[in-house]
Amino acid sequence: MNERPLRKVLIANRGEIAVRIVRACQELGIAAVAVYSEADRGALHVRLAGEACGIGPAPSRESYLSIDRILEAARRTGADAVHPGYGFLAENAAFARACEERGLVFVGPRSETIALMGEKTSARRMAVEAGVPVVPGTLEPVRDAQAIRREARRIGFPLMLKAASGGGGKGLRLVADEGELDAAAQRARSEALGAFGDDSVYLEKALERPRHVEIQVLADAHGNAVHLFERECSIQRRHQKLIEESPSPFVTEALRRRMGALAVALVKRSGYVNAGTLEFLVDAAGEPYFLEMNTRLQVEHPVTEMVTGIDLVKLQLRIAAGERLPFRQEQLAQRGHAIECRVLAEDPDRGFLPSPGRIQALEAPAGPGVRDDSGVYAGYAVPVHYDPLLSKLVVHGESRAEAIQRMRRALSEYRILGVPTTLPFYARVLRDPSFVSGEFDTSYVASFVARSDGARERPVALAAAAAAIREVRERLAARLPPATRPTSPWFAEGLREAQRGRA
Amino acid sequence: MIFEALVEGRALRVEVKGRGDRYDVTVDDRRFEVDWRENGRHFVSLLVDGRNLELGLEARAGGCIVVFDDDRLAVELRDAVRGGALGGKPAAGGPARLSAPMPGKIVRVLVLPGTAVEAGQGLLVMEAMKMENEIRSPRAGLVREIAVRDGQAVETGALLAVVG
Repeated sequence: MNERPLRKVLIANRGEIAVRIVRACQELGIAAVAVYSEADRGALHVRLAGEACGIGPAPSRESYLSIDRILEAARRTGADAVHPGYGFLAENAAFARACEERGLVFVGPRSETIALMGEKTSARRMAVEAGVPVVPGTLEPVRDAQAIRREARRIGFPLMLKAASGGGGKGLRLVADEGELDAAAQRARSEALGAFGDDSVYLEKALERPRHVEIQVLADAHGNAVHLFERECSIQRRHQKLIEESPSPFVTEALRRRMGALAVALVKRSGYVNAGTLEFLVDAAGEPYFLEMNTRLQVEHPVTEMVTGIDLVKLQLRIAAGERLPFRQEQLAQRGHAIECRVLAEDPDRGFLPSPGRIQALEAPAGPGVRDDSGVYAGYAVPVHYDPLLSKLVVHGESRAEAIQRMRRALSEYRILGVPTTLPFYARVLRDPSFVSGEFDTSYVASFVARSDGARERPVALAAAAAAIREVRERLAARLPPATRPTSPWFAEGLREAQRGRA
Repeated sequence: MIFEALVEGRALRVEVKGRGDRYDVTVDDRRFEVDWRENGRHFVSLLVDGRNLELGLEARAGGCIVVFDDDRLAVELRDAVRGGALGGKPAAGGPARLSAPMPGKIVRVLVLPGTAVEAGQGLLVMEAMKMENEIRSPRAGLVREIAVRDGQAVETGALLAVVG
């Protein structure tokens, strides 16, 4: 493959990841084109990009998921490449193919690789061929209720139902016994249809207290492939990752090398190009099982960037331009420890219900080793149409202990007002002895919520005191006739002086 | 000034005596000396008995939401009735009215009016922000009313169902 420098990249995404890609383009001297739905005209990715193009109404099906509209935007703006980010069309082989047919560089693997690895059951078959162990279950997609029941009985309960075209926890259900199967299958298939336009599912045996560990890979179009070590992703809720870290506190050097070698073998066998991630479950005995491959950039890619010092998004763009990987496996190392908390517009005190609304005020943390990959700003209204990810708070430290202390410090500086977020929840998790010790699995969040929610000491007296003082001050301000209400800070200060001693 | 405060279901008596930016606050039998400094419209820096507390305040009708670094509490305030007894909000004995906790779309109604349901039983499935959430009954009883149908879009606060 010849090198063909990219001049202008259309970013077929929104939110924090579109912001991340805009930034990489700017630093590489590549023009960035943002696309936006009618709900997103004021979104941060639009504000930061050099060019922007409207692609239709708020519902993603009519905008961010519309292949025609995105290709039309690329044509109109003269883009020569498309970066799909994650979600939306990122793992849609038809979209990648449509880009290829129009001579647009798709920043990701070839369309046939997406079809092969993106469809989860064919990826499982490919893994078996490459000698990579997989979780026991179906190797073919299942499409009707009767077949689901038959396969479920063969595999045994508990089991996982997953969308064959899935990702991001959508269309995914844990089924404890046969009684739950039909309802769960219906829910999983309807979610899968909505999110991916395909309601076929597959079944896997649910492992006992598994850990979720994934391996980042990079491959160029010249046959070179490396892995960038693991990310620990066991802190999940309803199969949505909340906190990720690298290295994993319980992956040994031997397991790390073994999983890395398995990942590179599968990448080479499938002819994979660009950045990708292989997800594994690791059972209590430390045995890894391949789950699925994500043929795109991951939400949690920054933790890998922090420990390896490598900019994955820039490398994605350089690989797409035909460049060779600028390093070999033996030149890569993990340095220190990184943790990421996904800041979501969800209310942890109401079962993590989504909480869209206007952000009244925002103060982001700063200081050494802190990175905030945000897609929002004060005054921004979080729309109801898209996922609730506001920002990713990432810290890097010399050790896991330092990273934890740094994350606690950063969380204490981070304030978002106007919408409930998961920030206060993370502040509590980062002080939890089980999290600190690194002894957790994918059941952690459910058990943490169960044991801490009732027992937790809440600062009710201080909250009441603060609210009451605020009320007293509001009433005092309201008592002043409107004409004399202070308009300038100097006037206000004078007034305060004049009122001293009168309260 | 004396208030009755309701914080996450707990009733408290709050007395505020103030001079300038310094306040003497008594919450039930706890006393705090508070130095109050507003930082912009939404943030306030408090020195409570010398300890620094950075808080966010979100205005709400009848009170405000106080945002701590590790918690977020809704505070309702009303003027204390002279000599009145202070108690928690009485538990509602009547039928429970469920309203939409966020804007979204009704994916499926799971029960018919007249069905007997258990506390925690799913009544309907609502989609918001790309996730399907089951709306559960807060109590056992009969489903008196289902106010929505499959596929309907709803705004925050829209009545979904009545269980009593």
